[in-house]
Amino acid sequence: MDNAKDWFGYDSLAFFGKVNASISHELKNVMAIISETAGLLGDLSEMARGGKPIDPEMLTSSTDSIVEEIQRGFSTIRQMNRFAHSVDTPVLSVDLMDILDLVRNLFEYLSFAGKTNLHTGEGTAAMAQTCPFILQAIIYQAVVQTFQHAGPGAQLDISVQSKNESTWQILLDGVSLKDGEVFPDDRITRMALSIGVSISYDRGSDRLAIDVPVSIGFVKGNGAAG
Amino acid sequence: METDKTVKILLVDDEVKFLKAVSDRLSIKGFDVTTAANGDDAIEAANKGGFDVAVVDVQMPGTDGSQVLKILKQNHQFIEIIMLTGHATVDSAVECTRLGAFKYLEKPYDFDKLVEALKEAYQARLQKKFESNLKRMEAIQKLSTHQSPLGLLRAMAKLDDNRK
Repeated sequence: MDNAKDWFGYDSLAFFGKVNASISHELKNVMAIISETAGLLGDLSEMARGGKPIDPEMLTSSTDSIVEEIQRGFSTIRQMNRFAHSVDTPVLSVDLMDILDLVRNLFEYLSFAGKTNLHTGEGTAAMAQTCPFILQAIIYQAVVQTFQHAGPGAQLDISVQSKNESTWQILLDGVSLKDGEVFPDDRITRMALSIGVSISYDRGSDRLAIDVPVSIGFVKGNGAAG
Repeated sequence: METDKTVKILLVDDEVKFLKAVSDRLSIKGFDVTTAANGDDAIEAANKGGFDVAVVDVQMPGTDGSQVLKILKQNHQFIEIIMLTGHATVDSAVECTRLGAFKYLEKPYDFDKLVEALKEAYQARLQKKFESNLKRMEAIQKLSTHQSPLGLLRAMAKLDDNRK
């Protein structure tokens, strides 16, 4: 199992499509604001040409708005680029905080996104040899389910700690699932098993723990990195 | 503007800068625009009354565009609603049409098309009101031939209740 075809099945493709759809939605919003604001500047120019007085503040706020939206567009494209490249190498050594940061950025493009607080751990970087793309899909789905249920007013705290010498533990505090809803479902369970990740949810404390092996080579029966 | 009165627009979108730019442009074109940055504020503004047309973004946090569409159509008989979306799908367009949307536009759209759609929606609203008033008059005429004065008043009150 050493190439992308072996690692990424339909579940991965579905996740890739879902995230790209949300990014395109964000970019359309950016384009719509730029388009309308440029149109407003055009309308104001026409008015000035016709001898009507124009409030200079409207010109300033319109140009500022266009500049800000261009920056927002660039930032979105940067995240899109990070995400696109996360499938380049199926398994590699990554800092888990980088993965969490990308998931948080991608998640914010959804209309129901709430606030996620990413807590940086003390000490050494949480490096793991894993499949970053599949790990992203698992964490993303947990965040999506939480806010789909709890709404944009909810908050989620995300941190990483060392569980033991061979395992990092990603903790999501504030995970909220509907009554009867389960996490992980069959699809996420399949994805987690494929990279040796185990997931446990404590409904009482609203805490989701995702155990990530420091090296995917420790996964029993997984010949991927062995 | 080709209309004989100022058209009152309720503009609803969670993108505040979009709301401001479109609102300013529509105001320059002569529309009377009120903005709402979320679904709940839109419903509250509509309850205060007087809007001819609402322009509503489909995807918003909390009460989303299709919920706003449904509630406004239920509570305000003659309001016409144009839906805007940054993520058009056949399912979403069908659902909005089923709920009574006048038009469904995809962002970014041509501003002139929005203005055209607003004028068409306003004309449709006037037509609907006219037909409703005509039906009411016909119903009153029919009732007046068979009713006592008190019976006629009661029947008219019932007619008005059905129009709410």
